[in-house]
Amino acid sequence: MHRILLVEDNEMNRDMLSRRLMRKGYEVIIAVDGEQGVAMAKSEAPDLILMDMSLPIIDGWEATRSLKGAEATKAIPVIALTAHAMSTDREKAMEAGCDDYDTKPIELSRLLEKMQALIGRKNETIASSGGNA
Amino acid sequence: MNQEPFVDDIETYAQDIVDTVREPLLMLDTNLRVQSANRAFYETFHVSPAETENQLIYQLGNGQWDIPGLRTLLEDVIPTSSVFNDFELEHSFPIIGRRIMLLNGRKLRAGSHSAIIVLAMEDVTERRRSEADLRAIETYAQDIVDTVREPLLILDTTLRVQSGNRAFYQTFKVSPDETENHLIYELGNGQWDIPALRTLLEDIVPTSSVFNDFELAHDFPELGRRVMLLNARKLQAGHHGELIVLAMEDVTERRRAEEEVAKAKEASEIANRTKSLFLANMSHELRTPLNAIVGYSEMLQEEAAEQHLDSFTDDLGKITTSGRHLLALINDILDLSKIEAGKMELFLENFELSALIQDVATTIQPMVEKNSNQLRIEISPDLGGMRADQVKVRQALFNLLSNAAKFTHEGSITLNADREKMDGMEWIIFRVTDTGIGLSPDKIVRLFQDFTQADASTTRKFGGTGLGLALTRRFCQMMGGDVTLKSKPGVGSTFTIKLPSVVTEARSEVISAADFDGTDIVDATDRSTDPPTVPGTCVLVIDDDPAQRELMRRFLSKEGFSVRSAVNGEDGLKLARQLLPIAITLDVMMPEMDGWVVLDSLKADPLLRDIPVIMLTMVDDAERGFALGAADYVTKPVNRRRIARILGRYSCANPPCPILVVDDDSRTRSAMRVMLEKSGCRVTEAENGEAALTSMEAERPSLIFLDLMMPVMDGFAFADRVRTHSEWRTIPIIVVTSHDLTGEERRRLNGYVEQILQTSGSSRDELLIQVRDALDNFSIPHEAIA
Repeated sequence: MHRILLVEDNEMNRDMLSRRLMRKGYEVIIAVDGEQGVAMAKSEAPDLILMDMSLPIIDGWEATRSLKGAEATKAIPVIALTAHAMSTDREKAMEAGCDDYDTKPIELSRLLEKMQALIGRKNETIASSGGNA
Repeated sequence: MNQEPFVDDIETYAQDIVDTVREPLLMLDTNLRVQSANRAFYETFHVSPAETENQLIYQLGNGQWDIPGLRTLLEDVIPTSSVFNDFELEHSFPIIGRRIMLLNGRKLRAGSHSAIIVLAMEDVTERRRSEADLRAIETYAQDIVDTVREPLLILDTTLRVQSGNRAFYQTFKVSPDETENHLIYELGNGQWDIPALRTLLEDIVPTSSVFNDFELAHDFPELGRRVMLLNARKLQAGHHGELIVLAMEDVTERRRAEEEVAKAKEASEIANRTKSLFLANMSHELRTPLNAIVGYSEMLQEEAAEQHLDSFTDDLGKITTSGRHLLALINDILDLSKIEAGKMELFLENFELSALIQDVATTIQPMVEKNSNQLRIEISPDLGGMRADQVKVRQALFNLLSNAAKFTHEGSITLNADREKMDGMEWIIFRVTDTGIGLSPDKIVRLFQDFTQADASTTRKFGGTGLGLALTRRFCQMMGGDVTLKSKPGVGSTFTIKLPSVVTEARSEVISAADFDGTDIVDATDRSTDPPTVPGTCVLVIDDDPAQRELMRRFLSKEGFSVRSAVNGEDGLKLARQLLPIAITLDVMMPEMDGWVVLDSLKADPLLRDIPVIMLTMVDDAERGFALGAADYVTKPVNRRRIARILGRYSCANPPCPILVVDDDSRTRSAMRVMLEKSGCRVTEAENGEAALTSMEAERPSLIFLDLMMPVMDGFAFADRVRTHSEWRTIPIIVVTSHDLTGEERRRLNGYVEQILQTSGSSRDELLIQVRDALDNFSIPHEAIA
C-alpha cells in the first residue's frame, strides 16, 4: 500500500481528499503546515507528497525547496496543488522542484493518474539505481 | 602781381566742386535766368546745357519749374532775406514723375561777378516714403502689442520699462505713468522684485537673448498667488537700441486644471486597482467554500455509485456540475480582473495541436450533443505544433465551441485548424463555424464593442459563461493574435482565431521589443501617454536606448517620481528647460551629442545648472550598468559663484568643513584651495585617486571635488571605491570636468566608462539602487521658483 503525505491547512480539503484517497486504497498521513510537512517527510518516508502551496509557517514552495535540497527526501515526488491555474503559480511550483502540479478543486481521476505515474517512475528509478549498486 | 590765373584757378575749382556735388544745383542770375547748372542737375532732369543755360527758370523743361511755391521763394523771399532753407516742394515733373524736393536757396556775391542765386534741390521722395512706412510699421506694431491679450512689457537693457501694453495695465491694475521709465523691480510696490525673475533677467537674458516658458509662481499683492509663464526676446530696435520684450501668460487656471486632471486620473487608477484587487481576493474567498461543495458532492457521488444509490447519484451529479459552472465563472472574473490589473502572464510552451484539438473536442462533445448538433474536426496535414500558452489556447477554443453549441440547434459545428503564412510570419488559424442563428452586421459591431468592455450586456447576451468571449479575445491579443467574426442572420457564424505559430515572450517586468512598437517612446518631446508631471517629483531621463528609458521610467515611477524621457541630448535640453526636473539621469554614450556634451550644456545654462545630474550608462546585453555616483558637476575653469552655491548646499555640521580636492593639475588644486578657504573650508589636496584614498583614511572629508582624468587611479575608479565603502558612500562627490571637451577628451572619457564597465560593471539591479541612492542624496527640496 502506497503511503501519501498530504500537506494541507484547510480542514475540509484535508478531510475530503484524504477520505477519497483512502477509498482508492492509499494510506494517507496528514501535515497541516509546511514545517510539519517537511518533518513528516523525513520521519515517515512517504511514497509521494501532495503539497498545498499557500501554507502557514513555511509555504509550499519553501517546503518543497527544502525537501528537494535534502538528501533523505529529494527522491520523494511532490505534486503541487494550486488554487487556480495561474501560470505564475505553476511556474513557481516547478521552479521550486515540484514534479507535477494540479489545480483545486481536485478532479480525482486526473490526480490519480498523475500520482500513479510519479510513483511508478520513482519505483523504476529506485529499481535501476538499486541494480547499479 | 597778375592775379588772373589765380582767379581762374578758383573758378575752375568752384566749378569742379559744383560738378562733384550729387545734389542738383542751379545757378541763376538775379533775373532768375540760368547761368549754369551742375552735372547732377542735367542727369536728374534729363536735360542738356543748351536747353538750360540762359533760360528763365520757369521756362525750363516745358515750364516744369513754373511752380507757384517756387515763384514765391525766388521772387519774395530771396530778394529780401537772400536765403531760404529746406523748402519742401511736392510736384509732378513731366519726365521724372511725382517727386518731393527739398529746396535750399542762397544769394551769393562772387567777387566781381554780379550776385547769383544758388538753388540746390534735394530729392527726398524715397526718404519721405520710407519715413512714412516706418511710422506705419510702428503704429502697426503698437496696435499688435495693444491687441495681444497677454500682458507685455518692453524693457531697455537696464531693465527700465519703456512701455507696457494695454493688457499689462489692465491685468496688474497700474497706469502707464506709474510704469514707464521705472525699473521693473520698482513696479507696483516692488511686486515684480522676485529672485527668480532677477536671475532670469540678469543672468539668462544677457547671455542667451531668448528664454521660453519659464514658469514663475508668485504672490502678487493685487492678484494673489498666480502662476505666470514668462517668455522673453531680446530685440534690436533701431534707434531704441536693444530692447527686451517680456511676455507674461497667466497659467494659474491651466495649472490648477492640470493638477486636478492628474489627481482625478490617479484616483481613478487607484480605484481601478483596488477594484481588481478586491475581485481577485473575493474570487479566492468564493472559491474556498465552492471547493468544499464540489469536492464533497463528488465524493458522495462516488459513494452513492458504489452503493448503487442511483437516485442520489443523478442529483449529486447536478450539484457537482453547477458547482463547477459557478467556479468557472469565478475564474473568468478573476482572469478578467487580472488582465485589467496587468497581472495576467503567459506561460509559453511547445505543444502538438492535434492532441490539443482532440482533447477539446472530447470535452465539448456533451454540450454539442445537447442541442442535437454534429461536431466536425478538420485538421490540415501540415498543422504540427505551436509555441503559446496552452491553457489559454485551449480555453479560447473551448469558449468558441461552447458558444457555437449554445446558439445552434440540430445543425453542425466545424472546427478547422490550419497553418498559414501571412506578412512574413507563420500563423495558426482556428475557425469555428456553426449553422446557428447568426448575427446581423450591427450586432457584430456591438458584440465586438462589448468584447472590449466585457460589460453586463455581454454576459446577458450569451448567458452562462458569457465572459468567456471577452476573455478569448483578450487571451488572443495577449499572444499577438486576435479573434474575428463573420456572420449572416439565419445562416450561421464563423469565429476565426489567428495566433502566431511561435508566440514571443511578453514578459511583464523585463523589457521586450513588443513594448516599443514605434508609437510609444519615439517622440521624445511630446508623449501623449506621459502623465502630467507633478511639480517637485519630475525626473528627466535622457537616453538613446528605448529599453533603458523604459527601465528607468518603470523603476523611477515605482519610487514615486514622475518621469519624462528624451531620446537625445538636444531634446533633453529642450525638455529640461521646459520641465525644470528635480534631477536628470544622463546616458554617457549616445550618438551625435554624447552625455558629456549634454552635461556641459546643462552646467553652462544658469536655469539648469543647479539641477542634479546622474551620469550613467548601461550595456544592455550584459545587464551591466555603471552610475558615476556624483552629486554634482562643475566645469573648468571653476567659477567662484558655483562653488559657493555647492558649498551652501553640502555644508557640514561643524565648520570649518574638511574638503578633499582630487586633481592631478596643481594649478587647479591651488585655485580651488583659495576659493574654498575663502569660504571658510579646510582643504586637503590629492593628486590622484590613490593618494585621495590614503588621505581619506586619515580624515573623512565632508565633500569631495574630483577630477576624472588622472594618472595612477582615475576619477571613475576612485568614485567606484568611495561608493562601495560603507562609511564613505554618503560623501557627496562633485565632479570637475573640463569645459569644451575636445573630441579626443570625450573619447577618452567614454573609454574610461567602458573600461569601468569591463572591470567592475555592476548588475542592472545594483545600478538602479545606485540611482535611487543618488536621488535620495538630492532630497534637498529643489529651490522652487518664487
